[in-house]
Amino acid sequence: MSIALRGVGLAHANGKVALENIDLEVSPGERVAIIGPSGAGKTTLLRLLATSLQPTRGEFDLLQHNPWRLAASQRQRLRARIGLIHQAPPLPPRQRVVTAVLAGKLGQWSVAKGLLNLLHPLDASAAQAALARLDIADKLYQRCDQLSGGQLQRVGIARVLYQAPELILADEPVSAMDPVLAGHTLAVLNREAAERGMTLLASLHAVDLALAHFPRVIGIRDGRIAFDLPTEQVQPAQLQALYANEQLQATPSSPVQPQPTHIPRC
Amino acid sequence: MRAGNLIPLAALLAAVVASFLYLGIDLASLVAGDSLAQMGQYASGFLQPDFSTAHLQAIGRGALETLAMSAIGTLLAALLGLALALPAAGRFGGVALHATRLLLNALRAIPELVWAALMVLAAGLGPNAGTLALALHTAGVLGRLFAEALENTPREPADAIRESGGGRMVAFCYGTLPGVWPQLVAYTLYRWENNIRMASVLGFVGAGGLGQMLYLSLSLFQEAQAATVILAMLLLVLAVDALSGWTRQRWVS
Repeated sequence: MSIALRGVGLAHANGKVALENIDLEVSPGERVAIIGPSGAGKTTLLRLLATSLQPTRGEFDLLQHNPWRLAASQRQRLRARIGLIHQAPPLPPRQRVVTAVLAGKLGQWSVAKGLLNLLHPLDASAAQAALARLDIADKLYQRCDQLSGGQLQRVGIARVLYQAPELILADEPVSAMDPVLAGHTLAVLNREAAERGMTLLASLHAVDLALAHFPRVIGIRDGRIAFDLPTEQVQPAQLQALYANEQLQATPSSPVQPQPTHIPRC
Repeated sequence: MRAGNLIPLAALLAAVVASFLYLGIDLASLVAGDSLAQMGQYASGFLQPDFSTAHLQAIGRGALETLAMSAIGTLLAALLGLALALPAAGRFGGVALHATRLLLNALRAIPELVWAALMVLAAGLGPNAGTLALALHTAGVLGRLFAEALENTPREPADAIRESGGGRMVAFCYGTLPGVWPQLVAYTLYRWENNIRMASVLGFVGAGGLGQMLYLSLSLFQEAQAATVILAMLLLVLAVDALSGWTRQRWVS
């Protein structure tokens, strides 16, 4: 199993319960989308899987290890086998794209190699190849603060592709992209994961993207798993129940003439 | 005017008068007799600077010594300051934080001139003492400024490196340093400017450089030589201001 959670719960320090009684098994090479309303616990679940949050209850196995029973140095080695894609990639604004991408392998490199790479990029061609898969190879030597939000997200994805981990955890990886680009990028990510046998878990707020690109979909609501099904078995009623909100009434706004729009690739 | 205002005014006036009486300052002698002529004579001594080759060579050596003292002193201070800034920014726990803050405060609270006087006793007359004095005081200042820069920089980039398995050292170099180094360089350059001016003065307590030459010339009433030293100091400070302004534009913007 890539991931095995049994009865996992997580309560924040202020007592607020973020996740409750999560049972989840993901096999190596599986590709899973996590959907659910805002505040349901999607990001918390991914942070828990990334070992940046510690579960307060339950059993948690990650790549055949319980990360919280490992010594800190062994946990760092385990983390090097996991790739994280952040919604807003935390890249220093002044860092060059090539350095930011090559930083993906810092967990696998020695300290000396890491520091040397800071002075002179040691593997620029591989970084360029990773960027090329996302159509931004021309940004290789630009600074991160010169990129748009969507471009930064693609740099974050390129960093994880270069890292070549066994498990990819992606938190809203395409939220800053237009719909066409988002679909294209998710397709690239899924293809890469499938070709290299990497396990992929991605949280998405766009249900159609989740259904279109992933073979398995997990719905989360109020910190619990609402459903966990192969994509073709997900019923519209389940999706409606997942996003149902008693407080918000959808008031129809004034009808807008649909305009044919050309969506530029950012 | 109300009495409430008059009383403090009267007290202030009385204090001024009392101060003059207590110190016995004789303002009349400033203009009495040939005082003015003597002052003019002394000042005119400075109007004919000594541009002899031997003296200019000595000044060149002194200027180099001042420059080297300030540069090495600032470099040492930047390294020591960065080493102290990491614990002072809370990277190694609460005890280390308070201990290093106390140390930084102590280093900073003692002025360069006092450090120089202490270092002359410890390391002997000459540029060694001046360099150490500048390094110690500036380390206190830069350590504090660096610590604040480190505290204000976002943690997420370094955390992201840690979460993908990187060590603390590389996480700092890849995640934190790119955000803070322009500030570190700017602070260091600014303190270097300050230290050049300070290095010219430190010679007065025997810590080498142009200051020591100025002190000697003035003690021996060699106004011409002293005037050249002052001109050299002025040129040095102007040159360094221009240089650091250029460096800042080139690398920090």
